[in-house]
Amino acid sequence: MTALEELTSLAGDLVNPAVQDWKQQGKKVVGFMCTYVPEEILYAADILPIRLRAPNCVETTSADVYMSHLNCTFIRSCLEFTIEGKYQFLDGLVFTNSCDHVRRMYDILREIKPTDFPFLYLISVPHKVDDELIAWHRDELARLKESIEKTFGVKITDASLRNAIDVYNETRSLLRELYNLRKGKNPQLTGAETLSVIVAGFSLPKSTYNELLKQLLDELGEREGISGYRARLMIAGSGGCDNPAYLQVMEDLGGLIVTDSLCFGSRYFWEPVEVGDDPLLSLAKAYLNRPSCPRMVGNVGERSDYIKQMVNDFDVDGVVFQRIRYCDLWGGQLLHLEKEMKESSIPMLSIDREYSLGAVGQLRTRIQAFLERIER
Amino acid sequence: MVTEEKKDALKEVLDYLSFATDTIVERFGEKHPEWAWIYALLVDYYKEAYKVKEEGKPMAWINFGVPPELLYAMDIMPVVIDALTGSLASTGSALKYIDIAESRVPDYICANNKILIGAVLAGDIPIPDILVHPAHPCDSNLATYPVIAEYYNFPYFCIDMPYFRNERSAPYVAGELRKLVSLLEEITGKRLDMDKLKQVMQYSNQAHELILKHEVLRQAVPCPYSSLEAIAEYGLVLALAGTPQLVDYFERRYELSKDKVSRGEGHLPKAMEKHRLVWIYGAPTFDLTLLMWLEKEYGAVSVANMNNNFTMKPVEDLSNLDSILIGLAEKVTLLPMTRECGGPWENWLDASMDLIKRYKADAAVFAGHVACKSNWAVIKLIKDKLHDELGIPTLVLEMDLFDPRVASTDSLKAQFDNFFNVHFQG
Repeated sequence: MTALEELTSLAGDLVNPAVQDWKQQGKKVVGFMCTYVPEEILYAADILPIRLRAPNCVETTSADVYMSHLNCTFIRSCLEFTIEGKYQFLDGLVFTNSCDHVRRMYDILREIKPTDFPFLYLISVPHKVDDELIAWHRDELARLKESIEKTFGVKITDASLRNAIDVYNETRSLLRELYNLRKGKNPQLTGAETLSVIVAGFSLPKSTYNELLKQLLDELGEREGISGYRARLMIAGSGGCDNPAYLQVMEDLGGLIVTDSLCFGSRYFWEPVEVGDDPLLSLAKAYLNRPSCPRMVGNVGERSDYIKQMVNDFDVDGVVFQRIRYCDLWGGQLLHLEKEMKESSIPMLSIDREYSLGAVGQLRTRIQAFLERIER
Repeated sequence: MVTEEKKDALKEVLDYLSFATDTIVERFGEKHPEWAWIYALLVDYYKEAYKVKEEGKPMAWINFGVPPELLYAMDIMPVVIDALTGSLASTGSALKYIDIAESRVPDYICANNKILIGAVLAGDIPIPDILVHPAHPCDSNLATYPVIAEYYNFPYFCIDMPYFRNERSAPYVAGELRKLVSLLEEITGKRLDMDKLKQVMQYSNQAHELILKHEVLRQAVPCPYSSLEAIAEYGLVLALAGTPQLVDYFERRYELSKDKVSRGEGHLPKAMEKHRLVWIYGAPTFDLTLLMWLEKEYGAVSVANMNNNFTMKPVEDLSNLDSILIGLAEKVTLLPMTRECGGPWENWLDASMDLIKRYKADAAVFAGHVACKSNWAVIKLIKDKLHDELGIPTLVLEMDLFDPRVASTDSLKAQFDNFFNVHFQG
């Protein structure tokens, strides 16, 4: 099996052989929601962090008892999985106050599943960045660390944190290398394949993942580049974009996705953590300063600039700006982004969608029209 | 400067409020002076805002969760955006602005925000010198204020607040307020005058103490307050905290209620007050006459609502800037709406249960604003708790507080009819 085949298969389900193996060793697995959770702290405790998602969730009947149709379907799907017991293999869940939907999922679980998870935690993440708030956030992370130590009876040392940061920085570096391959005229990897690779990394120990990434990079060196595509696309927008099949719809029509600004994508790994004397402070600084989600205030322009920079660096013909319906945060960004894209003459298609892959016919029609407009 | 040829939303609201005041006086005469009174205060407030803009003096947009006291102390006119958009919703002009906004942002952004976005895009609201908003209570605010400010390239400041209220939250928010003061000093080119701040804070405290004293009277049966007043007062407090006008208002208000309570009188005669409703969220801003219909049709007085639940303490120590900022920080983190919607769901539950108990309510109403995703996510939990622990039924309405096209007044009335039939007949 090639590394790509292995990674693609690992992306399919939440529980994969690597997770099973980890559990069989008597080690803990903790799910996390949102990339503002510094996984390194869990990893340093020899706990496997797994990012919450709900692959193949097609209905949210149980979740809808609690949440409303006015809540985003990504979170409702994750809540559905929790109620159905599909996260039962997890020893804990870590949330942030990343958005209204996420924080309320945490609230609901505390009320309806108070004993299902030994560890249920929400990190209060500042919405802004300055030295004072970074220091405050560092102390929040120290509280998280203490809580993990107390719950799981482990000790997280500075040395183990530094080691975790090193491992994660290697992941970041390897993923950037992977993305760099996509800058060329004939990238060796499709957008759907890349998303599979990224998603697999959220369900694997990073040390294992890094080995697979190295193998993948070697293999891709010998893989023939993709040609004959109609246009180079970039995917931007909200979280919950974790389904390679969604991107496959666009690529089946002749678009080639060459980059993104997703938290299930480049924004997750783009910048390394610079390690200083205090590893928790380093994490606080790095996580607050990473290419931001619009939950962060003060950098609306930076977010639009990040997309423009990507367009430039990856020679993108058009941007697909997708959002899970009811995501206010990315919905508001649209106002600024649309203006910026127009001023820079970058074609953009704006789409509201649901988490599960539905309305494919409509999506195809819109992508087809967009490709006709921008194709080379 | 406000130009002649441009439509001006501020002026429109001013005209509307002036008209409404005259109409109330004409229609009700001395029967309900308080209604005209609230409107008249708002008229004066918007007149001042209009004058300030015409004279080119500094103006700030603020929304709930921002202490206007700091702005008044810096001689910056704070225009409460939520009060303005709410007033526009009352005039009917809001629908046009909502439509304009929906051509540029998704329809599920809060209509309160869409009214602002539409009015700004239409050029009907003058750009402020600064925008100040809190990071709470919702994503829609975060998706609107920074975006508008960066879109039009004017300064803005977000007062960030930690998610949990604990020993770390007040110093955090006080630090944010200190940064705000520095920015205001930079924008105005002058230092904060401590004497002026202390004066403003004294007014603020005086009004606040009266609010707390008055709050006890408001709990009386029958309720001395009309449903409309209980709702409309929110905007006044947000806009005028720190001014002598608010002190004067609550002094007179306290005396009026005290007189009524001492005589055992209510807004409705005792025999006619059949139900006491607590609105655990907002109310239909586009048509507050629904509250009067409830009084008339069902003897249901809206005795309290989330937004007129000012239970926090006044700022005790006015001796120095640090102590004032800590006091203001404690206050703003507990302001209505910020308190209920900006943190864990228990904040909302506890405040609602407390309100229902204090006001001896027999039903709760959730005016479920479609854009309030965080509230909709836990209303099932809230409703169940109110029922299980207090035996109180909750009417859950799916509506838009600012846009009658989502649920009209008639459809809301029909839902109330059904609610009263199910829970209180027989």
